[in-house]
Amino acid sequence: MKKTSNSPITLIVITTGISSVVTQLLIIREFLAQFQGNEFIIAMILFNWLIISGIGTLLAILATKGFWRATVSRLGWLSLCMVCVPGLQIMAIRYLRDYFFIHGSSVGFYPTLAYTFITITPYGLLLGFVLPYSLFVLRLKNPDYPGALIYMTDNIGDVTGGALFSFILIYLATPLQAVFLANLPLLAATCLLFISIKKHYLMVFTCAGLALAILMSGVFLERGSINTFKDKPIYYKESRYGRITVYKDKEQFTVFMDGEPLFSNQNLTIAEETVHYPMSQVDNPQNILIISAQGGMLEELKKYRAASIDYVELDPEISNVLFRFGMIKTIKGLRVINQDARAYLTKSDKIYDAIIVNLPEPETFQINRFFTDRFFSLAKQHIAKSGILSFSVKGFDNYIAEAQRQKVSSLYNTVSKHFSHVLLLPGQKIFFLCGNRLIRKDIPECLLEKKIQTSYISNSYKGNLTNERITSLNNIIDPAVPENIDESPHLMKLMFSQWFAKFSTSPNKFIVGVSILLLIYMVCIKAETFVLFSTGFMTMGSEILVIFAFQIFFGYIYLQIGLIITVFLAGLLPGAWAGEKLRGCEKNMLMIADSLLIILLCLFITGVKYGGDMLPVACFLMFGFVISMICGFQFPLVLRLQGGSNRSVTQAFSADLIGAAFGTLFTSVVLIPYLGIIWTTIGLIGLKLASLTVMAIKT
Amino acid sequence: MKKITRRRFLYYSTAILSSAMPFSPFQPRVATDSEASQYNDISGKVFKGNAPAKLWKWSCEGLFYTKLKKNRVVCGICPHHCILAPGDLSICRSRVNIGGILYSMGYGNPCSIHVDPIEKKPLFHFRPKTTAFSLAATGCNFRCLNCQNWEISQVKPWEVRHLELFPPQVIATAKQAKAKSIAYTYSEPTTFFEYMIDIARLAREQGLYNLWISNGYINKKPLLELCKVIDAANVNLKAYSDEIYRKLNGGRLQPVLNTFMTMHEQKVHFELTNLVVPGYVDDPDMAKRMCEWILKNLGPDYPLHFLRFFPKYKLDRLPPTPISTLTRFRELAMQEGIHYVYVGNVPNHEGNNTYCHNCKRLLIERKGYFIPAYNLVGNRCKFCNSIIPGVWV
Repeated sequence: MKKTSNSPITLIVITTGISSVVTQLLIIREFLAQFQGNEFIIAMILFNWLIISGIGTLLAILATKGFWRATVSRLGWLSLCMVCVPGLQIMAIRYLRDYFFIHGSSVGFYPTLAYTFITITPYGLLLGFVLPYSLFVLRLKNPDYPGALIYMTDNIGDVTGGALFSFILIYLATPLQAVFLANLPLLAATCLLFISIKKHYLMVFTCAGLALAILMSGVFLERGSINTFKDKPIYYKESRYGRITVYKDKEQFTVFMDGEPLFSNQNLTIAEETVHYPMSQVDNPQNILIISAQGGMLEELKKYRAASIDYVELDPEISNVLFRFGMIKTIKGLRVINQDARAYLTKSDKIYDAIIVNLPEPETFQINRFFTDRFFSLAKQHIAKSGILSFSVKGFDNYIAEAQRQKVSSLYNTVSKHFSHVLLLPGQKIFFLCGNRLIRKDIPECLLEKKIQTSYISNSYKGNLTNERITSLNNIIDPAVPENIDESPHLMKLMFSQWFAKFSTSPNKFIVGVSILLLIYMVCIKAETFVLFSTGFMTMGSEILVIFAFQIFFGYIYLQIGLIITVFLAGLLPGAWAGEKLRGCEKNMLMIADSLLIILLCLFITGVKYGGDMLPVACFLMFGFVISMICGFQFPLVLRLQGGSNRSVTQAFSADLIGAAFGTLFTSVVLIPYLGIIWTTIGLIGLKLASLTVMAIKT
Repeated sequence: MKKITRRRFLYYSTAILSSAMPFSPFQPRVATDSEASQYNDISGKVFKGNAPAKLWKWSCEGLFYTKLKKNRVVCGICPHHCILAPGDLSICRSRVNIGGILYSMGYGNPCSIHVDPIEKKPLFHFRPKTTAFSLAATGCNFRCLNCQNWEISQVKPWEVRHLELFPPQVIATAKQAKAKSIAYTYSEPTTFFEYMIDIARLAREQGLYNLWISNGYINKKPLLELCKVIDAANVNLKAYSDEIYRKLNGGRLQPVLNTFMTMHEQKVHFELTNLVVPGYVDDPDMAKRMCEWILKNLGPDYPLHFLRFFPKYKLDRLPPTPISTLTRFRELAMQEGIHYVYVGNVPNHEGNNTYCHNCKRLLIERKGYFIPAYNLVGNRCKFCNSIIPGVWV
């Protein structure tokens, strides 16, 4: 057998790490652009990704049984496949969406689960397979090559990929451009690998050429692939927060964010309602704050001749697009602030006569923050005595469904703690008008008194918002529904029920199926592997908790959140290095590590409960780093306890991935919405206690 | 040739069979050469074994059903002709087979009651400036992806909050609300047919008008019975395309066309509504063919409303209809020869007003639900004395 240096294989592992993390993030964003962007979908995509990678890792065991023996050239061919697949996968996700589903329709839980599962499978299996397979190839030459070393090498690639995407590619490249850039190193490493074994030159360079062509074709075909099969966008941009497209149909411009229509330049009704419902209640308004703007809103606001209008929009790309396509126009006194609105209000001491919140439906933790107790309290601090706060949620035509009723009740119970008068107005959107003095229902009359002219409200309000409709909505509030607080987002729980009700499905089959699989898995794995599973679960759960808590206290600050995610990856490497260096007492060290994780989680609870926004950002970063360091520390210990064979390596990798998959799913979808931050953390502590117990019993 | 071991054979077979499983949520799908998803059909299915074990207070024996062998029944209200075994629930979710008898579960239990301006239905040629006492029980025989009342149309009767209002109480409540009409609306009134027809008969006796707001998916016999008691109707013509009916609504086109022809024969005043869904129903050629059919089979006098689409329910990833599309469709329809064509869901559009088909003068100016100008004398144009089709105050 030809001797090969380890360097080309190590390079393959690192560049695979870079490619895989960039691809993962791109594919998640792609799915969010094609399907609903709620937390359930996000968690499900991550879950699918991690599970499939875990399965791919388990399949690598086949290689140990002589089914497909590890060779350097086979690793090379696999790597070449990995170069080609991401771009093709993203294109497939885009093109096949309208093939399997009706154009323009949103898709329910099970079809989304199936679609994401199928489209992730090729790359996910490949990715999961390649990492342990690389180890087997390395062990051809060096049978004692430590499994932990491959873990650390992969981690270098992951951290690099994560940082590259979060801080560079997201700003400079479209998805397929990012795929091209992130896979070039892997392509180069693959060529180097084949050069090092001095084999298959012609075939390799032909295939490498083909792979390069596939990568580059993605770049050229990108714009065309964004077209849905009925329309072509006139504007397309990947912002930090999602995909922005603008479609033009005759004189109408519509801005889409992740495939959902956000604003149109021809929606006078909603612009009038959003502005005039609250503004009709304010005498001589001078300072107005709008959080996110609707097409036509500023034109309506202009009628009030306010001295200052502060328009806060988190995503500067959105405000640029709205101005560019004439949906909002610069008016006297307008100031555009591109910042998270909560962060802005926390720092500002300006008092407003009206605060108008025009955000999408609270279907993610990010948006939900503007419908919570803390936000309403913050808003109240910035509203004049006779001022008004207005926000809205999705409405109904003639009957309010139970989940929506609960949602409206929760919001009402939350906001009415801060404002003595709250009026709900029904319609396509349910508007909440909140103030500290009586709020008038006779809005057309109010507008007439102010000499404000409107097209829709003056003529249609009384027919659409009859006294009977307004009264029955305001009377249907259930005072027993829990408030929506940051630490325990009740609205998210209701959002899930609403979403399932919309598609007349239930997650029960999925939950039962996943629980059975989990149970079988728990029964089959060893105690040490359970430690890795629980640590993987806990680490992902902690990451979600940290990001969640960070957003509550500091707002959605993209760069700092990107930093948190990078830090969670970066801690693995030094941890794994320390675990590899430490020899002897592996069992005890595992238990000590578990105990340290429990202590850290207890510190997190203390910090969140008593520190809150007084905690510096560094605390969150430090917490993430130490958690992932301990996670990385445990990996080589488990490998040594299990003998370090190829089989045990694949089991360890897969346990980590599967644990992370369940951690993501349960934390986002079950624990945080149903239990809140504190009890979720306690739940994670419970899991680590179980892991400690299992290890103690085994000892 | 290399032999394959038993283990490998089992492994390969399992892998192949399992790989088909994730595709099951996509069934049935047919690949076509041209437009993707061309043969989608979202029609509902009978809910096997889903009926409640016992009847409840708000049920009555159904009309127009036939008994079959083995205690099965076939419902004759709508063209789905649901065949229900004992314990089954119909496609519309409102009818059950209990012990070999078909029952409606929507009798006396309206879930939605409001008093609306009649123009909201929309009915522009029937007693303008009056109000309609509007009610609905749950259920619908369609599965429209953009349903604006899905909270009550796509649920079972026992899944919602409801009132108790039997027909005499409906009449009393409508009179108390000073409404001139009772509208059967919001969900699909065909599904609570028995309730509707009993109320309608009583309403007739009491001098109230009956308005049927429907998707028109009803069989001829029940429709003929209904035509004896309704005074006006607004029936949706979702698209002049059977393919779109199946893909977006879960129904078929021809039965709806038959409904229009029957109502025309029975001389019931009705108005047609067409929701212009971008990418599907915004094809001018289709609109033209629709107008041609209307003119050929119904004549030019039935008002046609083109409504602006807004993203809703499951069809929430499309933009709204551009206003100029509706304007264009209105012009097209009038050029084809339809006398009264309106644009809906667009405030302050010229298409909200009624113009005389003869002298083209403004007859009724509508600003939202206000009518600032009214230029009819009885049922005639004030200016040229032409008869204006409709039922006027």
